[in-house]
Amino acid sequence: MSLLTARGVARRFGSRVALEPTDVSLAAGEVVALVGPNGAGKSTLLSILAGSLDPTEGLVERPERIGWVPQRSAHYGRLTALENLRLFAALERVPSRRADELAREFELPADTRASSLSVGNRQRLDVALALLSSPQVLLLDEPTSSLDPVQRERVWRIARGVAEGGGAVLVATHHWEELADLADRTLELVEGRLA
Amino acid sequence: MRAVSLILRKDVRTLVRTPALLVVLLAYPVMIAALLGLVAGYANAKPRVALVDEDGLPAHIVVGQHTFDVAATIKEVSRNVTLVYLGRDEAARELADGKIVAVLTVPPGFVATLQQMTKSPTLDVSVTRGGTSGRVRQQVQALVYTLNQKLQRAYIDANLEYVRLLLHGGNGHFLGQSFNVIGLDGTKKVLDTLPQSERVKRIQQFVHDARLALAQTGDALRATAAPIQLVEQRQRGRTASLSAQVQSYALGLTITFLSLVLAAGALAGERDENVLGRLARGLVPSGRLVAAKVALAGIVATVLGLGVAFAFAAVIVIGNAPGGEPWSRLPLLAAGLALTGAALGAVGSLVGALAREARTASLVAVLLVLPIVFLGLIPPEVFAAAGWISDGLPFAHGVRLFSATLYDLHPWGAVARETGWLVGLGALFSLLARGAVRPFRP
Repeated sequence: MSLLTARGVARRFGSRVALEPTDVSLAAGEVVALVGPNGAGKSTLLSILAGSLDPTEGLVERPERIGWVPQRSAHYGRLTALENLRLFAALERVPSRRADELAREFELPADTRASSLSVGNRQRLDVALALLSSPQVLLLDEPTSSLDPVQRERVWRIARGVAEGGGAVLVATHHWEELADLADRTLELVEGRLA
Repeated sequence: MRAVSLILRKDVRTLVRTPALLVVLLAYPVMIAALLGLVAGYANAKPRVALVDEDGLPAHIVVGQHTFDVAATIKEVSRNVTLVYLGRDEAARELADGKIVAVLTVPPGFVATLQQMTKSPTLDVSVTRGGTSGRVRQQVQALVYTLNQKLQRAYIDANLEYVRLLLHGGNGHFLGQSFNVIGLDGTKKVLDTLPQSERVKRIQQFVHDARLALAQTGDALRATAAPIQLVEQRQRGRTASLSAQVQSYALGLTITFLSLVLAAGALAGERDENVLGRLARGLVPSGRLVAAKVALAGIVATVLGLGVAFAFAAVIVIGNAPGGEPWSRLPLLAAGLALTGAALGAVGSLVGALAREARTASLVAVLLVLPIVFLGLIPPEVFAAAGWISDGLPFAHGVRLFSATLYDLHPWGAVARETGWLVGLGALFSLLARGAVRPFRP
């Protein structure tokens, strides 16, 4: 069963083509790796699939609950990790206890402003934010680039858990070797088009 | 509304956590308002006027029986201008350069004509061109008016001396000639010694009537010289620094700075934090994001604007200054502050949406504040285009709203008119800001 389907999605920024018309489908229970060199269009594709960026053309059918970890940290630096989690929980209409659970699960410092957290902790906060709505589809854009091995393993465990729970996971990464045991299939994006 | 409320609460919490920013946001515009007040109050208060003396004014001039110290008299009558003594050519050049605003020339023969008292001597005046010429002309006219007032007494006293001679007789001088007149008193005495006849009686009646009439000449002459006299009554009014205009402009400038910078920085900050992509996923559409920033500007403008208004009201009450409604109109003022702050917040949101980052947005917003304020300060009758542009921005409407709210006896007409303007402008700039919010770019 397909949880997310993109048909002919493309994106231009001015005259520059970031993504050629592309079809992507994520089925329940699968983990898909999206690989490709820098500037290939991986982040653009994930942003379109997440609903953060409108495609110039094409359509996306996505489930109601979708989690997205952008490549660059995306949270409020002057709020604490817990305040960020509670704010986005409220925006996503998720009970605040879910935010408290994730803060504990990811061992995020309660009283420290996000801007004062280490890069690794900020990345963990972004992953926690993506999990707030217990997503059916999880989109991860270089989610482990700043994490230590223990935390990386935690992220992969979570991804496996989402897939095993009937969801789907799409992971964009440079480090294919990390996903060798995890991914069910691989998509390769080169110069804005799937190889 | 829920999303707007959540983003608004987040922004307020963020703002409260940066008290230094709050202090700067309040202190800076208050300081600028105070400096602008000083500049507006005293700039050009004493324009430079050149005095070109082509007659060679002596140290003293005798008019009638009065002796005038020329330097002291000029100093006394020129309190509202700075008189500088220049030659004709130098004065013409400085007038052309704009270093002086007027040239007052004392032509040859001025003093002689003045002392003869047979006709009025003339002073020639040249005034700079441009918007201030009317004001300068008035100040020069005021200078000549004050000088005339001083000479008027000497002229009247001299004329009354001739009347006294007509009444009582004696020796007199006119145009360098000495003479002796018998006067009405002497005439009466002569008539009394003559044999009484009908003709003598008629002349005696004329002398009697003429003596009575001439006795009133002093008051009549003074009334003719100054048909209307201005008598200044001492009033306990407000000082200029507490005037309605200063308070309204101080409030306007303060919240213009606050609202523009805050809304611009807050909206651009969402991009800096890279959360636009998260919010764009249906959580907070761009319209609601703009609404949150507009509301933030309105709330902060209300709180800090009321702080400024409370300070003014306290000074007014402590100083027992009359006029205005320092306390009873504060609720209406709060609504005006919120509305003006929100409208200005919409302009700030547009700046924040167009800028790529918070620092750029804040800088542009700061740079925009003074032009917006100055456009609102220029009287439309001086430069009509400034009035038109200012009508398209919320500052001047806010100032008029504050002034009406705090001081008008019947404020509702002005309040309704300016509220309409502010609502319209706020909606327009909010729509523009919503359209200008750039999409998330990975």
